[in-house]
Amino acid sequence: MEYQLGVALGLAAGIGAGVLVVVLLFKKRILSCTFDERQERARGVAFKYGFFSLMFALFLYGMLDMVLGPWCDAMTGAVLCLCAGVTVFAVTCIVKDAYLSLKENPRTIMTLFVVISVVNISLGVVHILDGDMVENGILTFRCTNLAVGIMITVVLAVYIVNHLLRDRGEEAE
Amino acid sequence: MKNLRLKSARAAMDMSQQQLADDVGVSRQTINAIEKGDYNPTIKLCIAICRRLGKTLDELFWE
Repeated sequence: MEYQLGVALGLAAGIGAGVLVVVLLFKKRILSCTFDERQERARGVAFKYGFFSLMFALFLYGMLDMVLGPWCDAMTGAVLCLCAGVTVFAVTCIVKDAYLSLKENPRTIMTLFVVISVVNISLGVVHILDGDMVENGILTFRCTNLAVGIMITVVLAVYIVNHLLRDRGEEAE
Repeated sequence: MKNLRLKSARAAMDMSQQQLADDVGVSRQTINAIEKGDYNPTIKLCIAICRRLGKTLDELFWE
């Protein structure tokens, strides 16, 4: 009971710290939500794809849990499904040139992504080396760092590839 | 269908896509999409572009 309370408090503290960082980034104008009409429309489509991907991932998670028995704890399942939905949303936005707002600096955002990705993948590797990612054949919430790290790396890779392809295809001004 | 009239009006003013985008408050990709015919702008954005380029809606957007 004490352990679970500790986990819950740790999660709450983590979420609180995350919210604080995001608020600070908005105040420093590193993050912004100013999109033009084309971007708003494209993001609407991306939200739709992300929502249906989340629904599909939740259904798949539930099915696997029912057929195979518990293979990961509930928190891990929830985070993996969220990662699937967020990845689809972000990739769709990037492909439609609607991921970054009008005021965001691509270089700053991508640097932020690299840092977040490296931190999460490093924590994931530490958990793998410690051998506490799987307990009694069940994937624990310690794999969420690795999942988030991989998700951000995928988003970053799609952004870079899209940027390179787009620049080559667009008119030289 | 490509909007070559918009492109030529912009080029006639020696203006880049980025400059026009900044002036009308959209992203460069949005101006590029309009010129390529990949995006149909709202009347509000059409008017903003026309005002900036000193053209009428008919001249830039009417078939």
